[in-house]
Amino acid sequence: MFPTRSLLGRSVWKGPNIVPLPLPRKLPPPPNTPPIRTQKRAATILPNFVGLRFAVHNGKTYQEIQITEEMVGRKLGEYVATRKRFTYKQSKNK
Amino acid sequence: MVFILGVNFPERNLLKKSLESFFGIGGHTSSRLLARFNIHPTCRVGELANKQVLDLTAVLSDMKIENDLRREVLNDIKRLKETGTYRGRRHALGLPVRGQHTRTQIKTAVKLNRMERRL
Repeated sequence: MFPTRSLLGRSVWKGPNIVPLPLPRKLPPPPNTPPIRTQKRAATILPNFVGLRFAVHNGKTYQEIQITEEMVGRKLGEYVATRKRFTYKQSKNK
Repeated sequence: MVFILGVNFPERNLLKKSLESFFGIGGHTSSRLLARFNIHPTCRVGELANKQVLDLTAVLSDMKIENDLRREVLNDIKRLKETGTYRGRRHALGLPVRGQHTRTQIKTAVKLNRMERRL
């Protein structure tokens, strides 16, 4: 009933956020190629990323993710958490 | 009593409100439905002709409402969780999903956001 609603997240005229990433020339990439390191968390996952491995920055380290078909159209950063769960640390000196 | 899509409505009820009692039909959809079958907005359930009831039931059974819609929403949440997205994680934790502040006033999210969301 609202065909535009799915497009309202981002301006239509901008299109998806396509970021130049060092994608492998040969597909599928041969085994034990290193994952693609990137800090571009806002990069849209394109259909030709499926099956690749990315190492996405979480603000501190790079975490590996494997791109599956369901992830297409979302952002790289959605799959890598940036926050640590709070844990209480017992302090010795009060 | 009038049967619409297997549910029994008392005759004195407003038709518009009766339609809105289905999960997935709100004010907009119900007024669109009434307009489609030339029914005036203050029509009571008892005033409907037999054919209009059948027409409404036929249209409603084609629409995605009630349990089909509930299942769809739950599956969407489940898919978010299974693919490991941030949104899925927030649903599982019972926290706001769309970037709201969480210092205070997150009662609605705590109450509703979970994997098996109550709809």
